[in-house]
Amino acid sequence: MENLTFTLKKKTVTIFLIMIAVGVLSLAFGFFGGIEGKRVAANLLLNIYYFLSMGLIGLFFVTVHTIAESGWQTSVQRVGEAMSMFIPVGGILLVLFFVLGGLHSIYPWTHSDHLDAILLKKVAYLNEPFFYIRLVVFLGVWVLLAYYVRKTSLALDVKGDLKYFSKMRTLSAIFIVTYAITSVVSSWDWLMSLDPHWFSTLYGWYVFSSMLASGFAMLILILYLLKRMGYMQHVNDEHMHDLGKYLFGFSIFWAYLWFSQYMLIWYANIPEETVYFYVRHKYFSDVFYINLILNFVVPFLLLMTRKSKRIFGMLVPVSIIVIIGHWFDLYMMIMPGAVGGEASGFGIVEIGLTIGFLGLFGLITFRALTKAPLAPKNHPYFKESLDYHTHY
Amino acid sequence: MYVSPLREPLIKGAKDYSQVTKDILAPMAGKPSKYWYMGITLSGAAALFGAWATFMTVYYGIGTWGLNKTIGWAWDITNFVWWVGIGHAGTFISAILLLFRQKWRTSINRSAEAMTLMAIACAGFFPLIHMGRLLLGFFILPYPNTRALWVNFNSPLLWDVFAITTYLLVSLVFWYIGLIPDLGTVRDKATGKIRKAIYGFLSFGWTGSARHCSRHETISLILAGLAAPLVLSVHTIVSFDFATSVIPGWHTTIFPPYFVSGAVFSGFAMVLTLLIVARKALNLEDYITVGHIENMNKVIIITGSIVGIAYITEFFMAWYSGVEYEQYAFINRATGPYAWAYWIMMTCNVITPQLFWFKKIRTNLVATFIISIFVNIGMWFERFVIVVTSLHRDYLPSSWSMYKPSMVEVGLYVGTLGVFFTLFLLFIRAFPVIAIAEVKSVLKSSGDNKKDVHHE
Amino acid sequence: MNKYITAYYNDEEDLLKGLKQIKSKGVEVADVLSPFPVHGLDKALGMKRSRLTRVAFTGGAIGAMIGFGFQAWVFTQAYPLNFGGKPFLAVPSFIPVTFEMAVLFAAFSMVFAFLIHNKLGPGAAAVIHDERITDDRFLLVVKVADDENTHTIEEVLNEAGAHGITLKKKN
Repeated sequence: MENLTFTLKKKTVTIFLIMIAVGVLSLAFGFFGGIEGKRVAANLLLNIYYFLSMGLIGLFFVTVHTIAESGWQTSVQRVGEAMSMFIPVGGILLVLFFVLGGLHSIYPWTHSDHLDAILLKKVAYLNEPFFYIRLVVFLGVWVLLAYYVRKTSLALDVKGDLKYFSKMRTLSAIFIVTYAITSVVSSWDWLMSLDPHWFSTLYGWYVFSSMLASGFAMLILILYLLKRMGYMQHVNDEHMHDLGKYLFGFSIFWAYLWFSQYMLIWYANIPEETVYFYVRHKYFSDVFYINLILNFVVPFLLLMTRKSKRIFGMLVPVSIIVIIGHWFDLYMMIMPGAVGGEASGFGIVEIGLTIGFLGLFGLITFRALTKAPLAPKNHPYFKESLDYHTHY
Repeated sequence: MYVSPLREPLIKGAKDYSQVTKDILAPMAGKPSKYWYMGITLSGAAALFGAWATFMTVYYGIGTWGLNKTIGWAWDITNFVWWVGIGHAGTFISAILLLFRQKWRTSINRSAEAMTLMAIACAGFFPLIHMGRLLLGFFILPYPNTRALWVNFNSPLLWDVFAITTYLLVSLVFWYIGLIPDLGTVRDKATGKIRKAIYGFLSFGWTGSARHCSRHETISLILAGLAAPLVLSVHTIVSFDFATSVIPGWHTTIFPPYFVSGAVFSGFAMVLTLLIVARKALNLEDYITVGHIENMNKVIIITGSIVGIAYITEFFMAWYSGVEYEQYAFINRATGPYAWAYWIMMTCNVITPQLFWFKKIRTNLVATFIISIFVNIGMWFERFVIVVTSLHRDYLPSSWSMYKPSMVEVGLYVGTLGVFFTLFLLFIRAFPVIAIAEVKSVLKSSGDNKKDVHHE
Repeated sequence: MNKYITAYYNDEEDLLKGLKQIKSKGVEVADVLSPFPVHGLDKALGMKRSRLTRVAFTGGAIGAMIGFGFQAWVFTQAYPLNFGGKPFLAVPSFIPVTFEMAVLFAAFSMVFAFLIHNKLGPGAAAVIHDERITDDRFLLVVKVADDENTHTIEEVLNEAGAHGITLKKKN
């Protein structure tokens, strides 16, 4: 069997550290370079939310396959677990962001002295103490479950006792159930309440579908990097094909939810609802279409054939495009409400901060990968995953 | 391909291929049992009741229904959505589970998909009868006519026409393509001359040639790939019928995925209701095992919980939106004159399926059967609640009203139930209820006598 | 006049093993008839991947274009009508029908291509070599040239563990 111990090369760490430095520098530039504070805050929120969600999707990947009793994914399971190790980091950053002024800077409902009639009706939900309670509960549950899932998975590997396997299933079921609720409510809290007048019942699932597509794209990307470094040779074309199918399918699913939300609001044409897209059409019409092209048209057309899902030459570029695309999707969700049409922009702060967070995410994930063997040899379904070949 | 010994076998009893053929073809041979006759008499009588109701509607008009000017839609659309939803399980099992490579689908996909076709046929009847004149149903198709007028492509009701038609046709093709190899088997096992000729004709000249088999697999897979988004689109478009409007309780963006989930939920309940009886009556307990039932129950928990989350989301958003009308619509649902319907829906859809979290309950056939009936009822009431409670108290309090179904409407509903069960009973006599070829293809890896071997 | 030899196996694993052996002896197997798709058979027989996917894609693209084009034509050219203040070319409204048409065309073009290409269809004649090939037998068909010695082929088949080796003639 190949080498399952992953060692992080100095060079890789250096690259990640440089990326983080770029992020810190652009943050400094944001603060002192005459950029509006709101815009910097909105960018911080965007990136923290984006990479926190990727961590959650990593955990989702592991848990959803565990309760579905699927076997093939066990050989890439460690990548999902490693991604989930970003959850505590992202969680701390998010708490810091809110506490250190982020909340007051971009959430209009926090200015409790001048709330309009509509916001006054929502005070029972949109108030700071309750907001913080929810924040702590969500993050607490996620961090705890991420920790226990990882711990159980490693224990299963070391001891090979099926007791841990059934514990893993229980934990996974708990995570899926709690995540189904927390992902939705957290998206209302952190994203939808940036436009506090506006509401949409589909919003939570729409955000989830967006994170699902980008999270899987990230998983493919990490897997690719690992393979390039000479690890994960037991992952064959079939596994890639399946991940490619996920990326393809989730991109379509995202487009489906995008269309459902957009079309219904457009069709009913109720001012309370259309105001959301009105702003986005008026000030962000480029991003509006870029979003659709990068997240639906590109993956749909490029990943349609069987072959393209099996070769990295196609899978990796599409994954990168999808990751960029969903960054823009989040941009569309956050900026109009948080910063407004005129003050938003796209420049050093946006690019630099994203690079910084990418570096941080990469560093945490790859460091987590060094902590355990790259494949769960004693997982009861691991042998299925090794001997994995399908005709379609 | 290696299969972990941890996995339960999908087919019980050490069987070889010819035993599989024999077992599955058995219900088609010989004279039907007396239970079959009893069943078809009962469902035939129900269908006759429906025929009477259809006659009344066509002869006297829609006035025979309990509708009034406030509540212009009630049982008809409720039944329509209920039936379309039931149809979704078949496509979900045969297409989406195929894409997810769930081998357990092989034992249930045939009958579930046949059920899909029958359910869509029943569903399509309601919009047609609501037009009052069944024979003028073709008016909804875009065809060149003397009025030079085309159908309204901006209307979700017209989208429904396309969605339901496409769904019916593609499901039919998908089902039939899957049936071809098995019809070949029936032909080769048939004894009578006429029977052989009929099945010879129906089997499209299938010989099991490797070339045909290979392309057959490809086409099944791509049809599944097409049917998967199609099945999502169908209930999505059904939900658009409501959600594109500005009626509180109807216009909400969560409707598309929530309707789809509810559809799969109710469809699985109906599959369970039918198969728990059928596996016993047809001696197919080795093929549709408790493991299959358990898996279906898991799908019920997932989709039922998604529906539950959607209910709560809607309720919360009605409050959060700050829109009084929206808030009233939901408070009226839970506490108004139709509160009983709302709480039946909540109990049957959200609470009872949660019992399936207990392994004891989800592997118990009696409990599963009862809960599946509950879900069927609950999902019918869900549509009733959405349709009637949103309409009966609209923006203008002076036109608030109540709705009571007339005997004719009851007749139409019971009639479609009768047609559905009649068709199902005929189906189990005419076609193999389990996909023989597909079961055979998983027998080695997932049968009871599976060998722990590694082969290419 | 065509001659061919048929022989059968009772198990698909034996079939695949036997097929390898037969091929290594230089005997060409024309076809295998089996009760269900045997995986690995397409490779063993050297079949290409089906191109039905392309038919489906083309059909779907045509369906989508017809669907969208027709709706656009109706409401911008043939009979423009204002519905609820929507633009005549109401793109979001046209998506559902466009999608349904794409799926319909893709499915039907592919199914017809499949049936025509394989010469399958209602009432199509089937050459039934053995009534048990749709039950539990895996049958090999080896084509034999008129001047070829059938004995050597039969021997190869026999060695490879095939049963019921018979020489048949087709007019």
